[in-house]
Amino acid sequence: MTNKANNVESSEHISITKTLLLTLPMMFFTFMMLSAGKIPAEPNKIIALTITFIFANTIFFLMLYKEKTDKYRAILFITYAICFVISFISNLMEIRGSMAISQENLLLCKTPFCHIVIPMTIIPLALSKTIIFPGTMVGAFASIASMLVLWIGASLALGRGFCGWGCFFGGLDDGFSRIFKRPIIKHINPKWHYLPFAVLLATALTSAMLLNPTYCEWLCPYKTVTEYVEVTTTKIFIQTIIFVSLFLALVVILPILTKKRTQCGLFCPFGAFQSFTNKINPFEIRINQEACIKCKRCIQICPAFSMTEETLKDGKARFTCIKCGKCVDNCPKGALLFHVKGTSLTGSAATFRLLFLYPAFLFLVTMAGSNIQDTILRIMRLITTGSMILR
Amino acid sequence: MQGFFLGLSNGLVCLAYCAPVFVPYMLGEGNGIVRNISLIARFLAGRLFGYLIFGIIAWGINKAVLETLGYRELIIGNAYIVLSISLIFYSFLNVKTFCAAEYVDGYFYKIKSSWPALFPVVIGLATGLNFCPPFLLAITNAVAVGSLLQSLFFFFMFFLGTSLFFIPAPLISMLRGFAALSIIGKMATGLIGLYYFYVGIIFLINGIKNI
Amino acid sequence: MGRLKSFFGYTTAALAFFVILATFLGLNFFSSKLVSATGIKVSPRFTGGEVIKTIYHNAYKTMIHRPVFDGLIGERKTGFIQINWEPLNDWPEVIEETIDYTGDNVEDFFIKIETKTGNTIITSKNPQVVGIEKTYVLKSGCAVRILLKKQ
Repeated sequence: MTNKANNVESSEHISITKTLLLTLPMMFFTFMMLSAGKIPAEPNKIIALTITFIFANTIFFLMLYKEKTDKYRAILFITYAICFVISFISNLMEIRGSMAISQENLLLCKTPFCHIVIPMTIIPLALSKTIIFPGTMVGAFASIASMLVLWIGASLALGRGFCGWGCFFGGLDDGFSRIFKRPIIKHINPKWHYLPFAVLLATALTSAMLLNPTYCEWLCPYKTVTEYVEVTTTKIFIQTIIFVSLFLALVVILPILTKKRTQCGLFCPFGAFQSFTNKINPFEIRINQEACIKCKRCIQICPAFSMTEETLKDGKARFTCIKCGKCVDNCPKGALLFHVKGTSLTGSAATFRLLFLYPAFLFLVTMAGSNIQDTILRIMRLITTGSMILR
Repeated sequence: MQGFFLGLSNGLVCLAYCAPVFVPYMLGEGNGIVRNISLIARFLAGRLFGYLIFGIIAWGINKAVLETLGYRELIIGNAYIVLSISLIFYSFLNVKTFCAAEYVDGYFYKIKSSWPALFPVVIGLATGLNFCPPFLLAITNAVAVGSLLQSLFFFFMFFLGTSLFFIPAPLISMLRGFAALSIIGKMATGLIGLYYFYVGIIFLINGIKNI
Repeated sequence: MGRLKSFFGYTTAALAFFVILATFLGLNFFSSKLVSATGIKVSPRFTGGEVIKTIYHNAYKTMIHRPVFDGLIGERKTGFIQINWEPLNDWPEVIEETIDYTGDNVEDFFIKIETKTGNTIITSKNPQVVGIEKTYVLKSGCAVRILLKKQ
């Protein structure tokens, strides 16, 4: 196995046999998660499960064999985001015939809970033990309690790696950022890197003040591809213009022009909030300063603005690092590595990477699995009946 | 609560601007934590006194101007809109605002030598009189509430919000991470300015409806 | 010390995988435990508060929720009360009813609601009752939120 991180280059690559052996546990666990413990009876569901299983494990195999993290992660991550949108919208069409949330849904508290709301609920939760969101506590799709549990587990295991491996929206701006080969806008004023923290502070405070999740109500660009409040008043019409504009600007246009995840890195308050969980997480990206030649490729290439001149001096990525592995893959001297906090930098980079990849990849596959299978079923239905709607 | 949150959103900026004024005077003498806590407490008392004076002024403006002229919602709506726009510009651009502390440097020396115990209180009062857009918005907010008690309470909560960030000042290094906190605080204040812009529009619409 | 830190580092890194596994496998269990252990619930500003009184009529039932003044800390000066109507037999086109939400046998307001269109008129008999916040025409029934202000 190549161990460029310790500046020791060997001509040995990982063998296929060893890769297969390392992939076997992942195959077992992904099958368990994708099938939820039982093999479906319907043939089309078996096909969907099989395709998803093979797709996911091929990605993992290639990730290990080719020793490239980000390239293969991105394929699954972007597929996940697209499938999530298709599956979510199709489900809404089946249930209520529209992407718009009706006033009735809001009154009956049937809105699915999204992780981006979490930072806005913290102050009211701490002071009044109530969640300021019209959702269901338990027992429904994306219930509040289940999303909180998922968030806690992901934060402990991955920190802000959630943004690189779990967020069902992140794949959208990640995908758009890879369309062009080179960025057209090469420089963004570094002061804008602080904007997500300002958005976090402003939305957390205004949400606590108004007892309403203000980011969701006014700003969230992802309502464009999931669900939004029925336009029945001028205020809602203005809110609609705002979130559609933010989607086009931050999720589509700016990622294309800058080749960065601008929504995630320059605006998302959840991403800013999640950065603090990097402090308690065991994984980090470190720089072997003996091997580093200060070419600044990592600074250019980091999609989340987590590599700066200061990080090169400090020898580690900023606490906003999403652990996507892009810098590690692209460093010409292999000076960047996944690392486990508390251990020596001269330890095995390959081991550190594996220790991270197992939980990260399992999290990604489990989150993505049901959406990918559902999308495959809908595509099969589209081909056979001309409609994506299952019921 | 609105006053508290407005103060909280502005607190980081207050700390960033005021610290270069009071740190050299107060913490440069190498005092222990207990003495520094006493200094900070007196400093904050001076700030509170300044804010409460403005609470009274805000009530006075309401009584003398708004209740006499009428068109309350129109005037407050316009004030909110103008101030929120200036708040947004103040937050995202490098704009200098009037801070009394910079203009009374000479007097500080006289007070420090004649009444040393009062010195932190006077510094606090001077740094509190910072006519920045968030402070002007706080005045507008307090004018809008109407009664003297509510106006004083509003400024007390505004004071609490801004002061939260001063509390750990004697214990932690003042310079580390300041630049970043200052930028975040200013941007957050600008974003909250958008909320006040919206409030101003609502006031204006209601004011026009009531003409 | 270095060895201890290293051991601790590798252990927590290895545990990360099991944390993910446990999170997904125990999702339902942990979710219900989280709710029962902490007592957290959706804010009454969204749920409308608990139903304190149900009045049965021939064709429908009226469900009166508790007045909601809940704020971040304590109560706010303004709030609302939610009234729901659900059909039992025939669903009338117009509902006219006087509501006593305070439970003092004194009428607080009179409401007239057109169940198909949601047009609502209220006549306040209690100075706390300010006006209508919103009327909802539901698939099964209708609901209205009335603005309240503490005197």
